[in-house]
Amino acid sequence: MAEVFKKEGYVDPRPPVLGPGHNFRSISEKIGDIVLMRGFQKGWVFGFAIVFLGALMLFNTIGYLVLKGVGIWGNSIPVAWAFDIINFVWWIGIGHAGTLISAILLLLRQSWRNSINRFAEAMTLFAVACAGLFPALHTGRPWVDYWLFPYPNTMGMWPNFRSPLMWDVFAVSTYATVSLLFWFMGLIPDFAGLRDSAKNKVQRSIYGLLAMGWRGDARHWQRYETAYLLLAGLSTPLVLSVHTIVSYDFSVGIIPGWHATIFPPYFVAGAIYAGFAMVLTLAIPVRKFYHLEDFITIRHIRNMCKVMLATGLIVGYGYLMELFMSWYSANTYEMFMMKNRIFGPYGYMYWLLILCNVLVPQLLWIKKFRDKLGVVFLVSMFINVGMWLERFVIIVMSLNRDFLPASWRMYKPTVFDFTMFFGTIGFFLTCMFLFIRFVPMIPIFEMKTLLPESKVDEHKVEEHISGTSVGANPLPQFGD
Amino acid sequence: MNTNYAAPSDLGRIQGVALGIGLLGIVAWVIGLTLSGNVREIFFHSYLVAFVFWAGIALGCLGMLMIQYLGGATWGLIIRRPLESGSHTLILMAILFIPVAVGLGNIYEWMHRESITDEKLRAMLDHKSLWLNPKFFIVRTAIYFAVWLLLMLVLRKRSHKLDETGDPALIQSAQDWSGPGFLLYAIACTFAAIDWVMSLDAEWFSTIFGMLLIVGQGVAAIAFIISVCVILSRREPMNHVLKPKHFHDLGKLLLALVMVWAYFSFSQLLIMWSGNLPEEIPWYIERFKGTWGYLGIALILGHFFLPFVLLLSRDLKRNGRRLVFVAWLVIIMRFIDLLWLIVPEFEHGHPGHLKDYLIYIASTVGMGGLWLGWFFWQLRSKALVPYNDPLLPEALAAGGGH
Amino acid sequence: MTTQEETGIYGLMAEFDTPSSAVAAARQTYDAGYRRINAYSPYPIEELAEAIGFHKNMVPLTVFICGILGAIGGISLQIWTSAIDYPLNVGGRPLISLPSFIPITFECTVLLASFGAFLGMLIMNGLPKPYHPVFNVPTFDRASIDRFFVCVKADDPKFNEDETRAFLTRLGAREVSHVEK
Repeated sequence: MAEVFKKEGYVDPRPPVLGPGHNFRSISEKIGDIVLMRGFQKGWVFGFAIVFLGALMLFNTIGYLVLKGVGIWGNSIPVAWAFDIINFVWWIGIGHAGTLISAILLLLRQSWRNSINRFAEAMTLFAVACAGLFPALHTGRPWVDYWLFPYPNTMGMWPNFRSPLMWDVFAVSTYATVSLLFWFMGLIPDFAGLRDSAKNKVQRSIYGLLAMGWRGDARHWQRYETAYLLLAGLSTPLVLSVHTIVSYDFSVGIIPGWHATIFPPYFVAGAIYAGFAMVLTLAIPVRKFYHLEDFITIRHIRNMCKVMLATGLIVGYGYLMELFMSWYSANTYEMFMMKNRIFGPYGYMYWLLILCNVLVPQLLWIKKFRDKLGVVFLVSMFINVGMWLERFVIIVMSLNRDFLPASWRMYKPTVFDFTMFFGTIGFFLTCMFLFIRFVPMIPIFEMKTLLPESKVDEHKVEEHISGTSVGANPLPQFGD
Repeated sequence: MNTNYAAPSDLGRIQGVALGIGLLGIVAWVIGLTLSGNVREIFFHSYLVAFVFWAGIALGCLGMLMIQYLGGATWGLIIRRPLESGSHTLILMAILFIPVAVGLGNIYEWMHRESITDEKLRAMLDHKSLWLNPKFFIVRTAIYFAVWLLLMLVLRKRSHKLDETGDPALIQSAQDWSGPGFLLYAIACTFAAIDWVMSLDAEWFSTIFGMLLIVGQGVAAIAFIISVCVILSRREPMNHVLKPKHFHDLGKLLLALVMVWAYFSFSQLLIMWSGNLPEEIPWYIERFKGTWGYLGIALILGHFFLPFVLLLSRDLKRNGRRLVFVAWLVIIMRFIDLLWLIVPEFEHGHPGHLKDYLIYIASTVGMGGLWLGWFFWQLRSKALVPYNDPLLPEALAAGGGH
Repeated sequence: MTTQEETGIYGLMAEFDTPSSAVAAARQTYDAGYRRINAYSPYPIEELAEAIGFHKNMVPLTVFICGILGAIGGISLQIWTSAIDYPLNVGGRPLISLPSFIPITFECTVLLASFGAFLGMLIMNGLPKPYHPVFNVPTFDRASIDRFFVCVKADDPKFNEDETRAFLTRLGAREVSHVEK
């Protein structure tokens, strides 16, 4: 029936998701060789050295923090939550894009995800690690952080499960665990591939160990694919739940500016927004440096821009709703909060936020800009900054002028707030550098499924069968 | 014109049946009203529920139509014509808004600002009167309908022209309209939700409310489209087009939307329940009482739990005839949800018995006859599939196989 | 049969160039009455698993059961600790604050279900496996790169080294190798 309606001469206007001229082997080699090559590239060593300095700065700050206490930060009543929680939310949000790219796009059968999902998942893991540091340290006595978990103890007490902070403990730890499982599971077949093309014994044994004896058995593949798809199905609501619970940290309380029912979807959209911006910020340079234009094509960039635009508009919608409802509520505190947010002492932050998160990204409506890497990179930098500012606006500006004017106080971050924040960026990038060097950053086996020759052609199968089944006569050889 | 996809002849019979049932609904409505003793009040109350319900399905169709253009999933074009017909009923809904405008005084509490003695409440309403006043209310609704009708007509024109010319640039144009169009649509829907439903309780406010109703519309629209597709899939020519894979995709979409609805509803509840603020929680307290409490539980089970568990099954999703039962359940639950949102505001804390709400069923069925008549009239007037869309072969192939 | 066990043969491995030829061979092998067949490919091929008669995939059921256990575990942990073992009035909320207990219940469901998916897959696949005979085939390295293999195991009742080898060769394998145990 279908061929009756087939349109002749129609060419799919979308650019391909995989550059031309590749075959099974070339994909394995092109991606695998980045990992298996001897020595280090100069550019890699140089970049690693710089970001590792950042990581060291983080470690030093943590050391000092553990010695002296959280007083080295600028947090003080009424602003008891400041950089630590801003950074926590910022990092968690960045992590979300990774899961979304790998899980939701897998469920939606968007094959363009195949080249960026591994990279995005790694980003998730490292971002969650950075995020987790902040609340863990903010407890003040990080060595007893295990009290957060419900375990039978001599004090006979249990955590308060009615508190969103407790939900956060469960959400973030579940998220970290499931992301790790998902990432590692995706890597198993690729580790097997690296094991089989390893250039020396050390590589062979390390990747062999990680591959756990994977041999590409057809039955294994079936269970693997099902489990992977189910993990994706589980990760999708999980990732939404994590940022939702992060938003509950604020919205379940009654501080004006925090207590808003729109927070869950608006935080989730913001997380995806920030996350995609971070993926682009990282992917554009990496693509250039490692010549991965065949795998991360302009189609990927375009699609990510569209996702950013869409989520950015939801975030803008959130701002609009907050603005409208604070007036519509006719509630003194709500109205004051909004006035303070826009015209108060930190008002410039709000306007900067609107510039970064709402105005600049509108450039992405224009097709031409979505294809210009420079513009895209710049816009994503604006969004990275904007989403950080958003958390500042929400957290600090709702606290610094609370219900009681006598306790109003301006918040001023100390140098350690900044070394901690930039330190986590250094730590994150250090992890990314190690990942790029030692783990295949593009899923090799999934890229192979994008090749036309990877598909089983039923006509050819029939041909093979009819050519060989009689069996008695000498037969022509197939496949050479 | 390609006649391969002309609507089946007995669609007219289905249209007639729908109109007939609608007529019965209207008769029951009239009888109910005369028995109620308070004709004017009850009429407008039950009218509003019916109006919001059917406007919701129409708007859901318009939203889904734009998402279908934006999403890039080729199978979406199979349901493009039903979505277009559903959106076209917005013309009917615009006309049907007139009685709401007439009955504002019987529906909305804020219309009687002057007679309120409580000083605090009065001050609050005075503050809000800039927004909540009859003139501006009607102007705003006119603007919402202008936005929706413009989008509907623009997309419809392109789609019909595509049938004639087959020019792929038309699809591009429809996509270009759908991006900003959806933004305008969402904003208009949000404020319509605030005006029509949220302002029934003039004090209460919730920033997620617009999104909650938008998702509700999406749920209703997809459930409705599934029902239409099942009807079509039993007849020529769509029995060659609609395949298990398409129902599978529709089922997945319904599952996702039901989950999002539950997520938004639960979030709103959790935030307000935990905050326990005097300006917010009374809204829920009213809805936990008596009949509303039971209907609330019915919503948790029927609007989320049951469809969620059933739609997890792959076999059910692929079988249109079984999927349609879930779709009907969800449509009924949409009605109960709107009842739960709207009607407690008319009772001022004294929930009635289940039989008091039969009148709302009558009004909704009555208006439904008109709505469905309009819908099937539209559906019959054009080919059931945009047969000149260059992606059609891909969309057809996507349904085939195993 | 006994002689084969003594010589320590695991099976015969046929190597193919394209997924279609491997699927064709696997189907024919199955149709010829062989049941203990394995196939290997560098990426998942649904048709290949079907061809060797694999249908019973227990992963979804495992995930479902684990998920339910997680949900029950999560909610009972919270109810038991907050209302039974150490009842404490927090901000006037009921001891069993159901709305507040939903988030953690959800997280526990997802956590256990995910472990079910990952560990279930590994255990049912018999991984990790430090040693497996198929790796004794010298060209098997390419099973993860660009070659497709069909292996008939020696414990198949129909297995006979010479006949099976001839059969696999007739299917158009580019090479049929003896797999050492």
